[in-house]
Amino acid sequence: MGLPLLSLIVFTPAAGAVVLLLFRSEDAVRWTALAITVLDLALCIAMLAGFDQTTHQMQFTEIHAWVPTLGITYALGIDGISALFVFMTALLGWICVLASWVAINSKVKEFMVSLLVMQALMLGVFCALDLFLFYVCWEAMLIPMYLIIGVWGGDGRVYAAFKFFLYTLAGSLLFLIGVIVLYFHGGRTFDILALTGQDLPFWVQSWLFFAFLIAFAVKVPMVPVHTWLPDAHVQAPTAGSIILAGVLLKMGAYGFLRFSLPMLPEASVYYSTLMLALSALAIVYGGLLALAQDDLKKLVAYSSISHMGFVTLGVFALNLRGLEGGILQMFNHGITTGALFLLVGLIYERTHTRNIPDYGGLMKVAPVYTAFLALFTLSSMALPGTNSFVGELLVLSGGFAANLAAGAAAVVGALLSAAYLLGMFRRVALGPASIGARFKIRDVNAREMAAILPLAVFVLWVGLYPKPFLNIIDVSVKHLLAQVLTKGSGQ
Amino acid sequence: MTATALFQSALASLPEIVVITGACILLILGQLVGKGQGHVFVWASVAVVLMAALGTLMLASEVRPAYTGMFVADGFSVFFKFVFYIATVLTFFLSRKYADIEGIESSEYYVLLLFALSGMMIMASATDLLSLYVGLELMVLCTYVLTGFLRREPRSNEAALKYVILGAVSTAIFLYGVSLIYGLTGTTQLDGMAAAVTGDPLDPGLLLAVVFIVAGLVFKVGAVPFHMWVPDVYEGAPTTITAFMSVGPKAAGFAVILRVFLNPLVAASDAWLVVAVIAVVTMALGSFVALVQDNFKRLLAYSSIAHAGFAIFGVVAGSADGTASVMLYLLIYSMMNLGIFGIVIMMRNGDFSGEIIEDYAGFARSHPGLALLMLLYLFSLAGIPPTAGFFAKFYVLVALIERGFVMLAVIAVLLSAVAAYFYIRIVMVIYMREPQRAFDPALTPLVRATLAFTALGTLGIGLFPERFLRLAQGAVFGG
Repeated sequence: MGLPLLSLIVFTPAAGAVVLLLFRSEDAVRWTALAITVLDLALCIAMLAGFDQTTHQMQFTEIHAWVPTLGITYALGIDGISALFVFMTALLGWICVLASWVAINSKVKEFMVSLLVMQALMLGVFCALDLFLFYVCWEAMLIPMYLIIGVWGGDGRVYAAFKFFLYTLAGSLLFLIGVIVLYFHGGRTFDILALTGQDLPFWVQSWLFFAFLIAFAVKVPMVPVHTWLPDAHVQAPTAGSIILAGVLLKMGAYGFLRFSLPMLPEASVYYSTLMLALSALAIVYGGLLALAQDDLKKLVAYSSISHMGFVTLGVFALNLRGLEGGILQMFNHGITTGALFLLVGLIYERTHTRNIPDYGGLMKVAPVYTAFLALFTLSSMALPGTNSFVGELLVLSGGFAANLAAGAAAVVGALLSAAYLLGMFRRVALGPASIGARFKIRDVNAREMAAILPLAVFVLWVGLYPKPFLNIIDVSVKHLLAQVLTKGSGQ
Repeated sequence: MTATALFQSALASLPEIVVITGACILLILGQLVGKGQGHVFVWASVAVVLMAALGTLMLASEVRPAYTGMFVADGFSVFFKFVFYIATVLTFFLSRKYADIEGIESSEYYVLLLFALSGMMIMASATDLLSLYVGLELMVLCTYVLTGFLRREPRSNEAALKYVILGAVSTAIFLYGVSLIYGLTGTTQLDGMAAAVTGDPLDPGLLLAVVFIVAGLVFKVGAVPFHMWVPDVYEGAPTTITAFMSVGPKAAGFAVILRVFLNPLVAASDAWLVVAVIAVVTMALGSFVALVQDNFKRLLAYSSIAHAGFAIFGVVAGSADGTASVMLYLLIYSMMNLGIFGIVIMMRNGDFSGEIIEDYAGFARSHPGLALLMLLYLFSLAGIPPTAGFFAKFYVLVALIERGFVMLAVIAVLLSAVAAYFYIRIVMVIYMREPQRAFDPALTPLVRATLAFTALGTLGIGLFPERFLRLAQGAVFGG
């Protein structure tokens, strides 16, 4: 029993939130929050360094009794899939702090506390090996996120916060019922690993699959339960958008990977066509919606729906390339869309408009900013050499192998994304300098650079040399796939 | 009855005797203490309750039947008595300053609360429909008077009158059921009832009797269709009494319902179906009507109806886990509800009533600490983890699904999503609006202590539910 590394990773931000409550000075709060998130990232890097990529077993496991009467444990552990997301969450954590450095100027302490609590809970979700613990973290996130959107958001923040809260709550409550049903079928245990080995009757699996689907589909979000997302994204402060796009949306897909696929393999195989169809719908419909947007943030928000469609498409292709591509795309989407929201936030701080027609010629007044915008736009449309290309290619090849129509729809979605992203870039960055003249935009400063640069590095790193990232997940994905296919082929 | 039996009986009912004696002494003491000495009453009353609690603890080790089967001191009653003690002591703490502000500073207030407490304790221990009736009436008579304690306020008088009339009707219904039971089985003892039934347990006469008794009890916990008094009485009563009524008498009502429903006679009939319908309708009505309330006390009244509905789901489950889940629910509900009421009571100061939700706009800006507490209580009432409110609901759902009532569980969670809306709306008003006025809460050390205690309970039980779960389960299995 060595150092409880995962507990440290989860509880560092939580403890930091408590420490922040003691401070009075806003600057002290900012610097401390930054220090805590950087420390957390360092812990995550240490975790990755000690991570054994050759096994699918859970690593760094910690198990303690919590509510033994009901078989609830405090159990943490990670495999390759969770390791990637734990790392991503920690990576975006300190970027969120930097993104809110000047953007948040009222109730700074409360904001940073919410942010840190949020981070602790998100890390808890990815590390949890107990369904009850998972659910507690999953659901408790509603509280800080509700406050982040509702207190520090834009003009329509109250409505957006409400909508976000109620959609997610209603979805998760059915998940809770599913969890309890699973608990009784699995012999009164909440242990995720023990529950994956069960042979549930097909009809039970089907019911559970749909109970879980509602919860996860709301989080992803899949069409038609996506309508909370544009509202929440547009109204949330930049850091909130980054968290939403970067981590929160991943949790739905993570739920499919951790619960639906291994615990309900027969149902997953049986309903995979339905899921592929829903994914294809999200890809095309999200793309079309994005094409029609004049608001920068809305455009990125709708493009998220489309991009998350790729993720679910890859997952439910139920083959190795699809799954690996889907998971890698989750990571990529976190990096790229997080960065795009960050860039939108930076420009909004300067001009206080997100209306695309207001912009133009940004390249002349803010060349460094525009260069970054170009990079992340290209990454978002999956140009070769960027991270999304690798992921999208894997998803497409997996998708075509699984279902020709779904693959074709995904190609249409990829074309659409090129259309709306290039159109956006043209209208914002090229042409005569309209807004620059009116507002005298400053280019990115050092602090902003510190937030963007690491994301840019990851865009190129994954794009040019994805092997280390695929290596992390590889063994776990193979194991997951074997679990699904051996059990699920019966149907 | 021999002298030893009498002694044993007296011993088993020692806590009740302590409370009643204490209340009588306080009644006399009240005439001797001068004006402005309100704290004497508070501390004397608290001392009485503490002595009773000590007595209860000493007797908790074994099951003691008393008074020829009319009364029992067992684990079940001990659990409930502690819920009552907590509710009463916290009500005393909250009352001190509030009573000053409202001008209701008199010893009778505390005496009546103590008598109500003794009534509740008798209810929890009653094993005979008659002793149960005595406890019930002792409790409600005191709450009738307490509801009308704001003599100069028409609203308070009206509430009391309404409460008395409707309460009397429900009592009559209950008594009618009892008389039917006695006529059909020749006994009023809960144990004897099932044994005395020789023929078909689904005899229509017995069924009718059960329905009447259930109707009488359902009134006390404010479940549909006997809920109409709740909003008006809660709104009209002094807020401290509202807080007390939403927790203590409600828990007492559930104690009785559980005792009656664990009875084989009722268990054999199809009463659970009726109860399931009551639970669904109660929760739906409470949740949906609460959505449109502007008055904080009325909103909490409807919220308490909704919570009663959720707890009744635990009664429907009926198993040992179901019973334990209701008990745990009530303990947790007392914590969070007294907490939120504590805030409303504290806001009553000067010309400020603190009863309108909009009054709280921007509260988070002026009093971040108190706003955070409200946030905790409200999210707990909404059932969001990691607060205790979540665990309360979770355990009820576990009990329901254990018995195979998955559809009921789904209905319960969907309705609690509706209920979440109005709690979150209050959070919105507190956190996301600009302040309209300066706040000057009546924050005495006693109120502080109450808020700290309830917050600790609300968070503590949520994070570490094991011990409390064992207590509740032990009270069911052991008793």
